[in-house]
Amino acid sequence: MNSYLRYRDLVRNLVARDLKVRYRRSAIGFLWTMLQPLLTMLVLTVVFSNVFRFDIENYPVYALAGIMFWNFFSQSVTNSMSSLKNNAHLLTKLPVPKGVFPLAAVIAGVINFTLAMVPLFIILLITGHPIRPAMAFLPVAILLAAAFTLGVGLFLAPLAVMFYDTIEMISVLLTLFMYLTPTFYPMDIVPDRFLVFIRFNPIRSVLEVFRDPIYYGKIPPLSHLAVTVGVTVVALVIGVLVFRRMSDRIPFYA
Amino acid sequence: MSGAPLIHLDGVSLCYRLAKQRIPSLKEYAIHWMRGSLKHEKLWAVRDVSVEVRRGESVGIIGRNGAGKSTLLKVISGVLKPTEGTARVTGRIAPILELGTGFDFELTGVENIYLNALLLGHSRAEVDEQLDGIVDFSGLGEFIHSPIRNYSTGMVARLGFSIATAWVPDLLILDEVLAVGDTRFLDRCVRRLERFEAAGTAILMVSHTPSAILENCERCLWLDQGRLVADGPAEEVLERYGDFSHSSQVSA
Repeated sequence: MNSYLRYRDLVRNLVARDLKVRYRRSAIGFLWTMLQPLLTMLVLTVVFSNVFRFDIENYPVYALAGIMFWNFFSQSVTNSMSSLKNNAHLLTKLPVPKGVFPLAAVIAGVINFTLAMVPLFIILLITGHPIRPAMAFLPVAILLAAAFTLGVGLFLAPLAVMFYDTIEMISVLLTLFMYLTPTFYPMDIVPDRFLVFIRFNPIRSVLEVFRDPIYYGKIPPLSHLAVTVGVTVVALVIGVLVFRRMSDRIPFYA
Repeated sequence: MSGAPLIHLDGVSLCYRLAKQRIPSLKEYAIHWMRGSLKHEKLWAVRDVSVEVRRGESVGIIGRNGAGKSTLLKVISGVLKPTEGTARVTGRIAPILELGTGFDFELTGVENIYLNALLLGHSRAEVDEQLDGIVDFSGLGEFIHSPIRNYSTGMVARLGFSIATAWVPDLLILDEVLAVGDTRFLDRCVRRLERFEAAGTAILMVSHTPSAILENCERCLWLDQGRLVADGPAEEVLERYGDFSHSSQVSA
């Protein structure tokens, strides 16, 4: 813990570099990260409000909040893995605390997630969706999402160093989980026999804690919050423990 | 020589577990694991080494290729965790296992000074303070503002050394890194090492050239096949090592 405090300027530097690269790469850089979820939302709205009909009010807001959350989760997990993998050679020469790389990846993800709130608010205004005081709860929801994501990222990152095909396999799993999470479809269209998978998918709890204040304008019920906090703590603790056990072996695989 | 030792190694061993067939794929690993057909070959790079180093000591390490010298330095630096035994190292370490580790060749010299020093565990404020000194010592002049992909190998090494030694450490670890740069720069390096010694820094260096150890160290460790063969005054150990490598060359 102490050593992480000592390396906090390094974490800051890594986060800044991550953001700089992301926003410099394409010509419209910053604008693109805002446009991408909006375009996905537009496509989904056209498909699911007109072609296959979901009976859900103000679908664009529902879908956009879901996509934003999913983008944050999947990008941060993937970046945690690739940043540890790309920097693994350093860890054979320098005694850097290995967790700084996944940590910086998730922090950069949180900053992007927060910036993506701007287009979300624009859509809220355009569609005339009520903006309620419950939205003040969003920072807590984002913090929970960040902690959960960090746990998953720490759990998977060492595997990405040890095996070259980890990231590819996890991408497939992430796609599977995206469909098991009600990001862009409402829960009530799910047939009964599949419901159990979705109900016990921990990512759903974290997503709903984020989306409820935006879409329903209410803070999630206490029982749901308690479950989500529990899920998050378990994910983070398992992630940290596994990472600590595995990270000693990372220099051998770099 | 007062106080607790800076380095305290007690029965340190380090084992590299090499997969017999290289299995870098998760899918293959899972298949082999399920069949129970995972085979590992154990390679003990360091075996049962116990050493103490105190403040102000300068210690050289010699031995043939694959004797475990670099692995031992990695254990002391905290890069590798010993498989057996305990390694306790106190104080601020400046490990130079390779010059320029962590440089980003697209960034300028100055940007790399920050990145590299942060990787070594320094804070931004500390770098701000030392920046001019680092640039001066490196002798890179105006080049410091251009991307280091334009640098020569020697320039990169000079910058790396300047950053790593900008702060007076309690323990300086050098793995064969004094063989870079021109003679003028080497002179400056040696003077800096002398200043460190005067300030009470312990120095640990691996070198293949006995004269370099004789010049800079009063004590020497000799490793062979991971084991500590000798530990004593540099002159004596080097003499024994000289006889040994000579005779083994003849017999080989």
